Amino acid sequence: MRLGTMGGRFSPARAALLVRNRALEDGPGLGIGLGIVLGVNVLSLVVSHRAFLNSAGGQGWSTAIVLAGLILSAYAFKGMHDGKAGADWILLPATPLEKYLAALLSYLVLYPLLAAAAATGASALLRLAESLAGGPGGRIWTPFQAGILEDYADYAVAALVFIAGSASFRKRAPLKTIGAVTAYGLALASLFLGGLALLHAGRGDLDFRYMNGIFSAEGGIDSDRIERIGKFLFEGNRLVLAPLFALLYGYFRVFEKEARDEVQ
Amino acid sequence: MIEFRSMTFGYGKRPLFEGLDLTLEPGTVYGLLGLNGAGKTSLLKLAAGALRPTGGSISSFGREPGRREAELLADTCFVPEDPWLPPLKPAAWLSRYAVFRPAFDRERFAALVKELALDEDKLLTKYSYGQRKKFALAAAVASGAKVLLLDEPTNGLDIPSKAQFRRILAQAAEPGRVVVVSTHQVRDLESLIDPIVVVHGGRVLFSLDATACAERLSAARLPSLEGRPVVYAERDAVGWAALLGLPAGEAEGQAPDLELVFDAAIAAPERLAAALKGEALGAYVPEEHLIDKEAGK
Repeated sequence: MRLGTMGGRFSPARAALLVRNRALEDGPGLGIGLGIVLGVNVLSLVVSHRAFLNSAGGQGWSTAIVLAGLILSAYAFKGMHDGKAGADWILLPATPLEKYLAALLSYLVLYPLLAAAAATGASALLRLAESLAGGPGGRIWTPFQAGILEDYADYAVAALVFIAGSASFRKRAPLKTIGAVTAYGLALASLFLGGLALLHAGRGDLDFRYMNGIFSAEGGIDSDRIERIGKFLFEGNRLVLAPLFALLYGYFRVFEKEARDEVQ
Repeated sequence: MIEFRSMTFGYGKRPLFEGLDLTLEPGTVYGLLGLNGAGKTSLLKLAAGALRPTGGSISSFGREPGRREAELLADTCFVPEDPWLPPLKPAAWLSRYAVFRPAFDRERFAALVKELALDEDKLLTKYSYGQRKKFALAAAVASGAKVLLLDEPTNGLDIPSKAQFRRILAQAAEPGRVVVVSTHQVRDLESLIDPIVVVHGGRVLFSLDATACAERLSAARLPSLEGRPVVYAERDAVGWAALLGLPAGEAEGQAPDLELVFDAAIAAPERLAAALKGEALGAYVPEEHLIDKEAGK
């Protein structure tokens, strides 16, 4: 593919080239990862006549896809921060928007689709091998199962946050992103609980409970209402505020980046 | 044309440039000279858009490099002193990176790769320092960019490669293209760069073209400086290597070499300015014109 024209602020052709380049860069690493997964499963077939990733409803496949996707997202802008490669990355003739969008398309759309297709194929292959090895046969994992959209939404939000972290942090981006998200969560929880305690001041003891993912408050308080508010705040944060912030913040970090990292 | 207008830039609180004004015209190979830390690389990065000024403005062919519009990035090629190359073979590099430059001339690139004897079956990361520089230079010349910014291009090149580089750079100096070469190795490029731009103390100290230098200045080896219109002089084994305020060919003077002119620009800027205006020079006191190596920072 070659660009005939460079006109316009945003060029889909340039963005497509950037997505292609990312796929070519990530492909070998993912291929090795898939090879290792298959190798370990073949080993488990030899030892126990079972491909362990196909057991337990094939949840292992979903976990592996999500983990690999988050690792890729967490290093999406590593090259931009590199002392030597950074200037080349910044000066590659494409706009910051195209570069950022290419990362989003790669890890939020292209990667999940290709990884799911590869995992389905590998799962089918392992099931066949398991049957031939005299095992129970297991189940072929496919992405078409209950709750897949919710799982994808969770993955997409996490990937967005890690992409923003990668655009922001020069070194140890994944760890720093996890640290920032934890600190944000703790600050939010403190605010919520602090607000609750403030509203309840002088009305006796408050008893907070958190069990099986459900938060409740007892002690002369409308527990259902508080739970609804808590859920609204949590879901609003998880599905709207956090992804929106990550999306915009990541873009501005890419746009603002300068080649100041190398020795001047 | 690239224009810096009252441009200010610095790292942290340390200003590097304060109110810098400079105009770079197409069809010219500029030599950017300065002491270590004077900001030559930063100036090239500012012109390319890899850095943004903190004040004033930069315009490259009517556009602001800091906005990083794809068209301007495709029209600009910055080759750093130690170029980074990805772990790809030249053909794969072409298909992944050259495609972003619509004016990239693949035939010219292939000819340059051949001329520079670069191994096309080797990964670019396996190239030596000099080979990486040659590859980056070939890519820059073939890029079709209107602005070529080369940072210390002859550093690390062997003697035959320097000659090749000069030949290639001479071809690259096309009408309509601005070429800026930052270098400490002025003698490697003396025949090519004209004018020279001397950056010192956060501003452009001099922008000197070869004709003006030849009309007003000459170099001579002298046993004594007494009674001579000395602009600047350095002691050597047999006496003095002096830059004189006389046209080349007059008396014992020869055409001045750029290294001596650069040293004069740094150590005796007032005397050099006076000589270029044809003004009379006072007695030269060597101790008053020592180069402060930290002054460029």
